[in-house]
Amino acid sequence: MNRARQLLWNPIVSKEYRSRMRTWRSPLAMTLYILLLGGLGWAVFSSLASAAQSGFSGQAANYGQQLFLWLTLFQALLLTFIVPALTAGAISGERERQTIDLLFVTQIPPFSIIWGKLLASMSFVIILLLLSVPIFSLVFLFGGIEIDQVLTAFLVCATTALTLGVLGILFSTAARRTLPSTVAAYVGAFLLVAGSMLWGQLFPTTIDPASTKAPAPPAVSYLSPILPLITIANQPVSSYGIRNGNVPMNSGGFSSGSAQVICKAGPAGNSCVTVSGPNVVSGAGVVSPPATVSTIPSGPFAGWQFWQATVVLQLVVVVIALIVSGLLLPPVRRLPWRKRAAPAAA
Amino acid sequence: MIKVQGLTKLYGTRTALHNVSFEVPRGEIFGFVGPNGAGKTTTMRILAALLDPTEGQAFIDGVDVTREQGVVHERLGYMPDFFGVYDQLTVTEYLDFYAACYRQPRSRRKKVIADLLQLVGLQDRREQPVDSLSRGLKQRLCLARALVHDPAVLLLDEPASGLDPRARVEMREILRELRGMGKTILISSHILPELTELCTMIGIIDHGEMRATGRVHDVIQRLTSGRRLQIAVLGMREEAIALLEQMPAVKKAALVDGSIDAQYEGDEATAADILQRLIGAGIKVSSFRTLEGGLEDAFLKATSEEVG
Repeated sequence: MNRARQLLWNPIVSKEYRSRMRTWRSPLAMTLYILLLGGLGWAVFSSLASAAQSGFSGQAANYGQQLFLWLTLFQALLLTFIVPALTAGAISGERERQTIDLLFVTQIPPFSIIWGKLLASMSFVIILLLLSVPIFSLVFLFGGIEIDQVLTAFLVCATTALTLGVLGILFSTAARRTLPSTVAAYVGAFLLVAGSMLWGQLFPTTIDPASTKAPAPPAVSYLSPILPLITIANQPVSSYGIRNGNVPMNSGGFSSGSAQVICKAGPAGNSCVTVSGPNVVSGAGVVSPPATVSTIPSGPFAGWQFWQATVVLQLVVVVIALIVSGLLLPPVRRLPWRKRAAPAAA
Repeated sequence: MIKVQGLTKLYGTRTALHNVSFEVPRGEIFGFVGPNGAGKTTTMRILAALLDPTEGQAFIDGVDVTREQGVVHERLGYMPDFFGVYDQLTVTEYLDFYAACYRQPRSRRKKVIADLLQLVGLQDRREQPVDSLSRGLKQRLCLARALVHDPAVLLLDEPASGLDPRARVEMREILRELRGMGKTILISSHILPELTELCTMIGIIDHGEMRATGRVHDVIQRLTSGRRLQIAVLGMREEAIALLEQMPAVKKAALVDGSIDAQYEGDEATAADILQRLIGAGIKVSSFRTLEGGLEDAFLKATSEEVG
């Protein structure tokens, strides 16, 4: 119990919190965060509202899902920009300030330094997520989104933030200076969020006509929070990451192309179908409103929901990055497989 | 209390330390002196378990620093030569943070911090932000930080560097008080006189090798072979030098800056004899004084030539 408490709460957390909250940067970051997210929410909201007034098409439920999709994707994007800045200087900043040795000679184990830094930056992320709750509640004016979808989207955003945070700490531990560490953290964030999606676009799964199952994008692309966030909002992931035989797809978006995977919720659960042909109805209009999320039709994660695959894959990245950071940080490394020769008596 | 045996540290092909050995018994203040880059900081970092030696061993209170870092850190207070402070923290919060890092119970911290601030003379600045303190005050704060867990051994790497004379005197007073508290202290400096009064033992290091180590008095005596005389005479300088060189006690005599500089071996009686013989030979001596070979001389001597 005591040990667990020590692990969760170490002096670094409270110190980090004090220093972070006393600068003007934190309130500024929070204000900007709400303004940007709220601004986008307001823009989407008003365009949808005017579309509804003109009675163009679709149902109110779809508007809710559209708004939710925009907000949650934008939230993930904002976090992608904020989190690396929070952690990329965690360890290298201590090195630059010449305070790291003072920490090493205390009784805090090196891993607790990493843990404390991570916990402090992640609690800031949680504050940001909590701040965005009122904006997300706009979605409920339209309906079509259930509370569990919002919670799942927040979980995906939080896990992505955690992954980006741990990557930032890893680079911060490996680099001597904060500048290269920050660059590496942003490159890492880009690779995780957009690079993994690009991978799916460049090396898509080829549709196997003999298979009874619908094709799924390559597993690498689940690292990105984009696919799960789209599916959580009941939107189709369409042709993304899938190639129709020898004919390469040239579509860039998620809603148009010659083949589409459309997931629908039916009475017996979710089902996904591939629709081929040039004149596929695009976007939200196709999807039926009930509040469920789609599952991955095939591949190593067959039967899983997209967000589950993403959370698990990201947590694997988190664990690996934490272990590597823990090995890199100590000034004198005691690798278990490199035992020192026993010394003569003192 | 501190024991270093055959310590060698290589950075690539460059030798930072070569077979350094010394021992500091409990309660002693060991002055670790040498020019910049001699290996003082490297030795201290190895003792603080921040650096692995290439060869050799180091012990703090009988604990091998390369094997039981946790125990070493518990018994050791370390003040590095360069260090930073966190911004946005007050003096009290700063010390409280480190006290917590040393696992001091919350109930004890308040009193310990008040005592330490009293010791280093920062009690009036407890609510001041640490980054607004002057360099001298930061040094004192860092010393207080090294003491939050009441360690038996203190490693102070150049605690007086960059301080003005007044702050230097104050730092010396604090260290004297610590000596009174029975701490074993290893203190490094490249400036010698500040250590002569304070230290009980001394070690001179140069180019990664220990040149001399032992009691301050012994080291000085070993290194300053004999004493020096400064003699001013009215005319007849050549004769005086010739006469001095004839004396068996006088090692060397030469004209330096208008007066005669003579090195001799012996005590005050020998000096009196020399004076008597000069006057007896009809030489008009206007000034005659013995120069003490101080630590500075010993240091220059030790670091300028090989000492066995």
